[in-house]
Amino acid sequence: MKTIEMHGIRKIYPDGVIALHGVDFEAEEGEIHGLLGENGAGKTTLMRILYGEIRPTEGEIKVLGRRVRYRNPRDAIKQGIAMIYQHFSLVPTMTVLDNLYLALATINPRITRNEVEARAKKLIGETRLKIPLDKVVEELPAGVQQRVEILKALIRDARILILDEPTSVLTPLEAEELFQSLKKLKEKRMTIILITHKLREVKAITDRVTVLRRGIKVGTVRTSEVTEAQLARMMVARDVELVLEKPPGIQPGREVLRIEYLWVRNSEGVDVLKGVNLSVREGEIIGVAGVQGNGQTELAEAIAGLRRPYRGRIILDSKDITMLDPMSRYKLGISYVPESRRNGLIHEMNLIENSVLTSTYSYIGRYGFIDWGRAVETALKIIKEYDINPPNPYTMVKNLSGGNQQKLLVGRELVKKPRVLVVSEPTQGVDVASTEFIRRKLLELKTRGVGILLISTDLDEVIQLSDRIIVMYEGRVIGEGRTEEFTLEKLGLLMGGISA
Amino acid sequence: MIDFLIALIENTLYSATVVLLGALGAIINEKSGVVNIGVEGVFILSAFSTVYFTLASGNLAIGILLALVVSGLAGLIHGLISIYLRGDQVIIGVGFNMVAAGLTIVMMVTTWGDYSQTPQIQKLQGLQFTIGGKVFIIPLFSIVAILVGLAEWFILEKTKYGLVLKACGDEPRAAEAMGINVFRTRLLATVLGAVVMGLGGVFLSAEWFGNYTKATTAGRGFIALANEAFSNWNPAMAIAGALLFGFFEALSISLPIQLQSMLGRQFTAETYLFKMMPYVATIIVITMVMKKIRMPRALGKPYIKE
Amino acid sequence: MPEASNYMRIVKVIIEEAVSLLVGFAVAVIILLFSGYEPLSVISILFSEGFRNTEVLMKQSIPVIATGLAFSIPALAGLFNIGGESQLYIGAFTGLVSTYIIYNATGQPVLSSVTGLVSGTLAGGFWGFIIGYLRARRSVNEVVVAIMMNWTTYYLVLYLIVSRFTDPIYSHMSVFVPASSRIPDVLGFIMIAGVAVLTYIVLRYSSLGYSIRVAGLNPKAAVYAGFNLEKIFITAMSISGAIAGLGGALFVLSVIYSIDTTMSAIYGLGFLGIGIGLLGRNNPIGVVLAGLFISGLQFGGQWVELRTGAPPYLTDVVIGIIVIALSATYTYELLVSKLRRG
Repeated sequence: MKTIEMHGIRKIYPDGVIALHGVDFEAEEGEIHGLLGENGAGKTTLMRILYGEIRPTEGEIKVLGRRVRYRNPRDAIKQGIAMIYQHFSLVPTMTVLDNLYLALATINPRITRNEVEARAKKLIGETRLKIPLDKVVEELPAGVQQRVEILKALIRDARILILDEPTSVLTPLEAEELFQSLKKLKEKRMTIILITHKLREVKAITDRVTVLRRGIKVGTVRTSEVTEAQLARMMVARDVELVLEKPPGIQPGREVLRIEYLWVRNSEGVDVLKGVNLSVREGEIIGVAGVQGNGQTELAEAIAGLRRPYRGRIILDSKDITMLDPMSRYKLGISYVPESRRNGLIHEMNLIENSVLTSTYSYIGRYGFIDWGRAVETALKIIKEYDINPPNPYTMVKNLSGGNQQKLLVGRELVKKPRVLVVSEPTQGVDVASTEFIRRKLLELKTRGVGILLISTDLDEVIQLSDRIIVMYEGRVIGEGRTEEFTLEKLGLLMGGISA
Repeated sequence: MIDFLIALIENTLYSATVVLLGALGAIINEKSGVVNIGVEGVFILSAFSTVYFTLASGNLAIGILLALVVSGLAGLIHGLISIYLRGDQVIIGVGFNMVAAGLTIVMMVTTWGDYSQTPQIQKLQGLQFTIGGKVFIIPLFSIVAILVGLAEWFILEKTKYGLVLKACGDEPRAAEAMGINVFRTRLLATVLGAVVMGLGGVFLSAEWFGNYTKATTAGRGFIALANEAFSNWNPAMAIAGALLFGFFEALSISLPIQLQSMLGRQFTAETYLFKMMPYVATIIVITMVMKKIRMPRALGKPYIKE
Repeated sequence: MPEASNYMRIVKVIIEEAVSLLVGFAVAVIILLFSGYEPLSVISILFSEGFRNTEVLMKQSIPVIATGLAFSIPALAGLFNIGGESQLYIGAFTGLVSTYIIYNATGQPVLSSVTGLVSGTLAGGFWGFIIGYLRARRSVNEVVVAIMMNWTTYYLVLYLIVSRFTDPIYSHMSVFVPASSRIPDVLGFIMIAGVAVLTYIVLRYSSLGYSIRVAGLNPKAAVYAGFNLEKIFITAMSISGAIAGLGGALFVLSVIYSIDTTMSAIYGLGFLGIGIGLLGRNNPIGVVLAGLFISGLQFGGQWVELRTGAPPYLTDVVIGIIVIALSATYTYELLVSKLRRG
């Protein structure tokens, strides 16, 4: 039986961006239906419209055969639809039970805490989801938090479950457990919609899959009847160049960065880096693989000087820089491209002012004034080399597209001609053309003798670009070696914490 | 000596009551995520309104009621502008304090032609005790304030309303996703908080001073904010904090009197030094305490829906 | 496209200023009607008398331009300096007293004036430093500390004046600035306007100004860039305190020459500075213009009282309403986008 029918859904934002061009979508009970597409294809937007979070500009929605028009998620929840996001919608400072209580109390004001507890325990028993009710949410690992979200949906009698990129914060092992739970729920005749951009996932668990591309529905197919390559082509509408030409045998030079036995603690006193050892040579790209949250960000920040280790050393060109502040490190030749465009760029400033953000020291002239003439030159140089559009240096960064912002961020750090480049998620949220561009620039830098530490959750990217790979798990380097020595399975196991 | 102690305790209660009510109101506000610097302004408006409406109607109860309505309206305006129009909450508070101060003086002048004070009203009588021959007064509102504090603590910690507020203040996105109307909850909290603050202003006129002057509120609204931070947004701690701050102000009143009679001479300039005490003490206390407190995560940030 | 966005920004600013002023005056009109005064005559007197005398206008605007700058600079760094009041007081007092003492000791007018200005600036800077330090190093909320310091300084200065520096003849005034040490009034204005221009140049073009603006727009990015946020906060607060202190000293040395024992001449000027900073959009040149405008209104308010009996505190109300109206910038974004489509 069809539980969801969406016809002609169109969404146009006030600033003119067309997110959906008239999409049809339907799902049945007792199926896991994948919604596949690249970043920005419109999959999340479509589901948020179904969930009542966003209002469609046009289109009709039927749930369980009846026309509906949800004005907010509360209406959708009442009809049994639940959406589980990437970034969870739990209150992190409250316990699991309090979150569940709140979630139920908003629909059923008369319910008591004890009733909620009883119901929760019953469901935990039935579904075999392991959840500690009395723990504060922010102390739980991502996998458990996600289970709480699912429990929250079930306890509110959801019949339709929408999961948005659920495995992006899970290890392969946790992802497998999730799929088992989903299969169990499918047996109970639930409708499950899985939003994802991962082809392997689609093949692993879905019954049918709908592919979206740039706001248009490309098609709906039975998973068993297509190959991954066919799905990929539907996603991008061209044969994706999966392997870039790597420049022929460059011999890496001397060691330019060494991390010795580094230990870093976070603000709550928990170790986030546990005795990490690492070595980067000139002209070498070291890829750091691992699920987000296993210490990669902290490692990058420690190298840049944004985090202080309490044990261990960082050595740049045989100089101990462990105690140096970020600006001194930048002066010595370290460049850092953070994973967040939000924190790497100032959106209310123009391209010129952003170009000097991490190198003001080299632009200071007399009396402490910045040489803005030279700054303009630098900005123009970045614009030209990285093909940034619009090419006017006085444009405010917030008016640039995501891809152009990323190019600016990467370009700014690369034109400094660093000795060591630490780059985190260089192509996230970037369109395909800019992605290729940035990756090519990284390879170019490599031939110029720069040592590069590449952190990315995109395994394909890591494999393509790196000479050596290290895998991080829970703050440790759990595996390392030359790229050719790894298989995808081995990487997946390491990422999930299973070594040899 | 006994007289000194009795005076000290009484004065502490009087001062503490104001600071407590202000803090309790601000806690409700800020738990939901809305900053309200305008406590002083609410004190000014409600203290003045108590006198104004009591004289206009001849009935203290009506005066108090209308003063609370005015406080609620002030909260409503602050809430509408900061929640729905996304105004910067601190700036709104500052502007509001200015408006309240100016407005009350304008009203004073146009109603009674006096720039500095309003006429007196019949004050409330507190509870009288006689201990060992000495008379001891506990203000009615002190009891009210403590009751409100305990009730607030109970509601925030033990009921679902407390959870709803906390969700709006810590993670409004999650609250919205659970189906809570964050805007409406915050607005309600702001109005309710303003009414509780209003009780403090009512007390100033109705039970303490009996009239309104420019010096009635004397920055107590800001001391209430300091108390709120000191209490870590916990109403029970706010009671303790209020007694602490109240004690300092009481000391600044009682001590010079005691010293003057002991030393046998009059203070003129030195009174100013004593008046400084509560404010300096507040700075010191809050400096010692500030690092250990934890404020609502989404405090002061307008919630933006898509 | 950038031309379009710059144009839209200017339109947005004009709309914000205009609408806020209109709202402020509208409320004033309502209050006037309610209290039985004639709005039109009040407003016409306000503007005609307030802005008639440019010399008076310039003199009166000295302290509020200073406190306006004192609010704006930390605001650009993301801080609220509500302590302009205390910084003004301490600057005025220190300036007055050191000029008086140095002149009596040396008989040198220029030396004593300069000492007065410098010491007032330093005192204000130290006062600002206290707030900045507590905020940066101890995470103490700067609004509460500033208000406490306002009251503390108020009583402190009063104590010092009443106990040690009362004028022998007029017992309700402090000692007077010696006649030859007084600064010609227009010079005072030129000085503070010069400081405003200097502030603008530093904010726009120097590396300190750049780091302040980055810290205010995106503190996380500032940390990433290697800027020391604590240093920026403390520096910004100290500089702004120094400017407020200078304003106080200038005001005493060039306009009022003495502080009375209720401090009525300087009371409230710090808070006014907040409104002026906002009205001037935290731009130093805008602050000068806003300072002149608001001083004119205030001065006009006194004339209004003389002619019609309407209380001058009305201007406080107007300014407060303007401050509130200016805070709701989202409203203006809405208005601008409606304009674009309609």
